[in-house]
Amino acid sequence: MNTIVDILKILIFPGGMFILLAGMMYEWADRKLLAMLQNRIGPRWFQQLADVLKLLAKEEVLPSGVNARLFIGLPIVALAAALTAALYVPIMGIAPAFSFSGDLIVSIYLLSLMTLCLGLAGSNTLDRFSLLGATRTLTQLFSYEAPFMLALLGPAFLAGSWQINEITAYTDGRWLLLTQPLGFIVALIGLMGKLELPPFDAPEAKTEIVAGALTEYSGRGLAIFKLGKGVELVAGLTLVAAFYLGGVGNPLLFLLKTLGLLVIIAGIQALLTRLRIDQTVGLWWRYGTLLVLVQWMGTILWLRFVA
Amino acid sequence: MTTATPLKERFTVPIGPQHPALKEPGHFDFEVEGEVVKSASVRLGYAHRGIEKAVESRNWVQNLYLLERICGICSHIHATAYCLGVEALAGVEVPPRAQAIRTLVAELERIHSHLLWLGVSAHEAGFESLFMYSWRDRETIMDLLEGLTGNRVNYSVNVLGGIKYDLDAEQSEAILQGLQFLEARTHHYLEVVTTDALFLQRTRGIATLTRQQAELMGVLGPTARASNVKRDVRVESPYAGYQQFPLQMVVAEGGDLAARFVVRLNELFESYRLIREILANLPEGELTTRMPRRIIAGETISRVEAPRGELIYFIKSNGSDMPARVKVRTPTIMNMTSVVKLAVGHQLADIPMIVSGIDPCFSCNDRMAVINNQAWDWEQLRQYGIEYYQRQNAE
Repeated sequence: MNTIVDILKILIFPGGMFILLAGMMYEWADRKLLAMLQNRIGPRWFQQLADVLKLLAKEEVLPSGVNARLFIGLPIVALAAALTAALYVPIMGIAPAFSFSGDLIVSIYLLSLMTLCLGLAGSNTLDRFSLLGATRTLTQLFSYEAPFMLALLGPAFLAGSWQINEITAYTDGRWLLLTQPLGFIVALIGLMGKLELPPFDAPEAKTEIVAGALTEYSGRGLAIFKLGKGVELVAGLTLVAAFYLGGVGNPLLFLLKTLGLLVIIAGIQALLTRLRIDQTVGLWWRYGTLLVLVQWMGTILWLRFVA
Repeated sequence: MTTATPLKERFTVPIGPQHPALKEPGHFDFEVEGEVVKSASVRLGYAHRGIEKAVESRNWVQNLYLLERICGICSHIHATAYCLGVEALAGVEVPPRAQAIRTLVAELERIHSHLLWLGVSAHEAGFESLFMYSWRDRETIMDLLEGLTGNRVNYSVNVLGGIKYDLDAEQSEAILQGLQFLEARTHHYLEVVTTDALFLQRTRGIATLTRQQAELMGVLGPTARASNVKRDVRVESPYAGYQQFPLQMVVAEGGDLAARFVVRLNELFESYRLIREILANLPEGELTTRMPRRIIAGETISRVEAPRGELIYFIKSNGSDMPARVKVRTPTIMNMTSVVKLAVGHQLADIPMIVSGIDPCFSCNDRMAVINNQAWDWEQLRQYGIEYYQRQNAE
């Protein structure tokens, strides 16, 4: 019986189907918000689903000169990693489906696997735009990853645990946003870097390198990568909201919190110009890392002398 | 297991003729080392339409409508250049009211062109919001032009010897209102492009064209004026209504992309001022004068300032009702050299902005390229094609 429940958890709710649909809805909300901020009409609510269905129905072109197994396998690995990561985070404010000690590190790693897959997918093809996109994707990974991880470890540090379950139990009712504002900023902006949203969209800057690492992808592969991005968006927003915005709890309230974060993200996307890749790296290592280290220093001093 | 060929440190990034950065067909080859461009070359001619040749088999009036279609954005200025040339050849004096309205429409067109450029450049930089808002505001001008002439593009205002459309009080009131809105918006955009820190990171010090370089390469229009080269046909040799309504030349010091933004946006203010002045002091009188059907033999050069820079028409008549030769030199062809020159040493991410920085108009500048000086017949051309593609396949 337990096995069946576990399988249902993985396939239907909160993993599997639910998270895929949630990912599409969050992406739609992001696009719609951005469109409203930019004086456009924006997509209809089912646009993401329609895009994915259309892509799945299309032929997948296998470009010459690629390793076919890698080309087909990478999107699947990326989506699988994102979906697995989503099982350990409290989607919609509901306790995670699975939990073990140290699952925070595992989920952060699994979320990064998507970026690694993108980098590999880009360098697997001979296309020059893909290669440049892959280089930029991986460069960006190395710039935001450390600050992002440190920013998520801040609450873990306070809770004294690396288990998402226990951290959210600690943050429940405690708005760490107020005590660790720098960590919150770095975590949120780091999430934008991870998802390659503007202004961190140099790896897929369409006016420069067409679609970056995914230039050669079409049909199923592209659809799966898109789905993976959506899952990552949900998982990332959930983590940030659960850690910094007063933990989990009421699903409706939690939905509002994540949507609030989405509004901030959309606002940043609308306001800023795309950064060049060297500027992205400079920003993260010069300011992002510094900010999060200052945050850590403050937390350590506070724990040592005040608490 | 993989069959991938080993990568060299340097490789060529082809941009165009089909590429999301360029909405028009041009081809650039950028040799990059990592992200840095080491050499650049350009190939034009994908949109060659043979207009100059077609002009020789149509009469003077028909040509007006053909030449207006050289450029979709600055259609009016092409027709103006042609009309001014033909009128000079025929020795016809155009009434002052017609000249003033020609100038008015030219300035409206400049506003529409510069706002379009602002949006395109912001888009190339990845600043989508500025793109969306500047194009929304550009609709104001499009609506005004439609109200004035019935067309959003290819307004067809000019006829030989005058203009077609008169301006009534209602229309001039609409223009004034539109300008008021646009002036406020332009102030805002000027503030954005000169103070937004992230945007300045992408424009300041990028593609700096020094004054010496600009003069050496003979760049034109706002691109030259951003490098402090005082070159503007409207001021140097006023044509049409610019004699009666003089213009202040707008220049900037920097020579980089930021300076080009400043120059183009400041030119908008100058255009607003000039349009208001024309509307306030519009001369009364006829709109057209009589034009002969055949133009007496002779040749002339007609220079006007298009939104992108100096536009030159060489017109030659042999006394018939068709021109013997019309040669068009659009400003983009002069500015293109600066792109290839300036791209070297910059990052690939800056390339779309450098290309769009000159406000290129590819199909305007495309003309016949002489590949080989000897004349070929069909059989030889076919043979050359077969050999060419055999060589390509062998590589």
